[in-house]
Amino acid sequence: MASDARWAHELSRRDFLKRTAGAAVAIPAAAEILAACTKPGTTSSTGSLPYQIARPDKPVTLPMNGDPIPSDTPIEQGAELQILNWSQYMWKYVLNQFVESQQDNGITFTAPSTFQNMDEGVAKLQAGQKADVFFPTIDVMGKLVAADLLQPLNHDLIPALQKDNWKTFQNPYYDQGWRYSVPYTIYTTGIGYRRDHIPDDVIHGMDNPWEILWDPQYSGKVGAYPSYRDVMGIVLMKNGITDMNTSKASDLEIVRKDLLALTEDVDVRISYSGAYAKLPKDLFWLMTAWSGDMVAGWGYAPPYTEQAYENIGYWFPADRKGPVDNDLIAIPKNAENPALGHAFINFWLEYQHAMDNFSWNGYQPPQNQADVSSLTTTEGLFSEISNWAAPAMYVSPWMPDAVVRQEDFDVGYRQGPLTPDVDDQWHAVWEEFVAGAKS
Amino acid sequence: MQKASEPTRRSRRRADRVAREGIQYPRWYWPSFALPGILWLLILFVLPLYTVVSIAFGTVDPIFRGPLPVYQPWWWSGEHFGETLGKVFGIFEPVYVHTFVYVVVASAVCLVLGYAVAYYVARFGGRHKGLLLVLLISPFWISYLMRMLAWINLLDNDGYINRFLMFVHLVNHPIGWLEGRPLTVIMGLVYGYIPYMILPLFGFLDRIDASLLESGRDLGGSPLSTFWRVTLPLSKPGILAGVIIVSLPMFGDYYTNNLLSGSPRTTMIGNLIDEAYSTTGQGGEMASLVIILMVLLIVPMLYYLRSTRRTAEAT
Repeated sequence: MASDARWAHELSRRDFLKRTAGAAVAIPAAAEILAACTKPGTTSSTGSLPYQIARPDKPVTLPMNGDPIPSDTPIEQGAELQILNWSQYMWKYVLNQFVESQQDNGITFTAPSTFQNMDEGVAKLQAGQKADVFFPTIDVMGKLVAADLLQPLNHDLIPALQKDNWKTFQNPYYDQGWRYSVPYTIYTTGIGYRRDHIPDDVIHGMDNPWEILWDPQYSGKVGAYPSYRDVMGIVLMKNGITDMNTSKASDLEIVRKDLLALTEDVDVRISYSGAYAKLPKDLFWLMTAWSGDMVAGWGYAPPYTEQAYENIGYWFPADRKGPVDNDLIAIPKNAENPALGHAFINFWLEYQHAMDNFSWNGYQPPQNQADVSSLTTTEGLFSEISNWAAPAMYVSPWMPDAVVRQEDFDVGYRQGPLTPDVDDQWHAVWEEFVAGAKS
Repeated sequence: MQKASEPTRRSRRRADRVAREGIQYPRWYWPSFALPGILWLLILFVLPLYTVVSIAFGTVDPIFRGPLPVYQPWWWSGEHFGETLGKVFGIFEPVYVHTFVYVVVASAVCLVLGYAVAYYVARFGGRHKGLLLVLLISPFWISYLMRMLAWINLLDNDGYINRFLMFVHLVNHPIGWLEGRPLTVIMGLVYGYIPYMILPLFGFLDRIDASLLESGRDLGGSPLSTFWRVTLPLSKPGILAGVIIVSLPMFGDYYTNNLLSGSPRTTMIGNLIDEAYSTTGQGGEMASLVIILMVLLIVPMLYYLRSTRRTAEAT
């Protein structure tokens, strides 16, 4: 709109972002309302984007917004660690270990600030919430840097990344040279299933196991995440389409038809907890699943015996050509304790701490020492101290598919940010599905 | 010209009131009592509502695509609202139909069950009336979410309800109550909201003068016709209040369907709003859905206000 464009150029991008700070929360602060009253924003669903869209074949080097903190920056004395992350994302036991390790510096910690989705997390950062560490997803990295919400990392203060973690994350496609981010967890997206109802050889013996989610004999027992990118990605996989970020109308039409068929054929149910909670409780037999949810499933499988654990299975293509991704840790620009933030990241990337946290949340860290053999034969710390449950390995031995390997990031398919127009097209398809439309 | 010493009409009125009430209050005294309520409404209702409207007719930020409210009406754009309205008459239409049917049926069941309970407590509660009322409001002590989660355990394949049905040989296999059934969603709505129906009904039924019922019987009315011609008409304001109180929040409910069904076949308007809220770039649609729902709900609300005004005028 011409009038919108006229108003837009009167604001610098930074001013603009400041003024929009509270827009994504339900009730913006009064100051922001007054600020927004002075000038309206701009519509920008089309045109050039203020950030680059990263793809594995088009890696992005994010621009440096200032310099990292100096290597000799001391850890802030008596500081309170401030974490902004997803809810139920980190094991408090390991968090306490970090605080104990910083006793000499008088570090304290009460509880993390949490968000339910990435928009909410970003909105909190935009609104000026202080955090020493933040947990973004890959798709917002370019945006966060464009909005000057992150600070570059000092690699000298995070030696554990090079020492303990997979080399692929020292030069990831979304943040070449890991200027702003380190990996937190890695996961694949496959199919969670009940082994007592669907034996391993049934699903592994299928020509196209993705199709099992549409099998009418499992009607009423199939679940899907309320996450359009992940579920539509699985529909793409089922149809042999490997571009997880497709903008082709023909691809999206195929997805639309199959998505609606999911309701008609198996009366699919939408649930976040379906994989880790409803499947272990036998409410679902099949579910689109992140590997981490299935790995953690034993903790939700009463009566917490090995027999109960053995009912939970996970399938991912044997050639490892499927959706694979990772979450990140970064330090916000407004961190009050950036040195502490660096120390926290380094602690979290160290082998034992990363593995202890993995034993609790089920989401694997990209640790050099964590391979299929060790993960399926070693009991995790959470299991060790959980006297209410039978022992569980990091990953159940019958679920080797759930172990993420370094080569997955070479052959697997990555989900990246979409342009606003393409994103709207994807969401329009998803909305039809959610609204129960018929094909 | 009025002489300076001659009292004005206003001062005469004030003098009359002082003579009548004995105390002289400044003019701002009584209106000031409404100030806290007005401030409350302004800050927690009018302002948020205006923000929702400003988001619906606003824009999105160019980087994160978060909703960006535009507070000046002369800069409003109808883009989001128009698109959403188009969907309401398109792909969202089944959702509006679901929601309307679920709410009407659930409200009707709440009314039938709630009326019987409220009638019993009001007419036959006797000295246990207080205890019964406490028992009736006891579900309020437990959060709505917890009550719905409890239903999951009850309705599970191996839950108590299926176990009972199989024990008495009413069914041979467990019924998949949680497999996306409209009946389960309606039942959840009834269970969640029925206390809100009982309380206003009890309030009105309890206030009905017993002598009116006796008159009806004395004039030859059977118990049924006395109920039909006396009790029911007199409790109409309670029925309306109860139906309004339960149906309005039911229209925006999304948790019941999320927890007890999750199937796209049973998606309600609240689920669409929740979905739009959770998705990047859909803030305008979310706000538009909220406004459309509000406009739809204004109709029964206006009917309720008109009806209560008429009742007040009649009495």
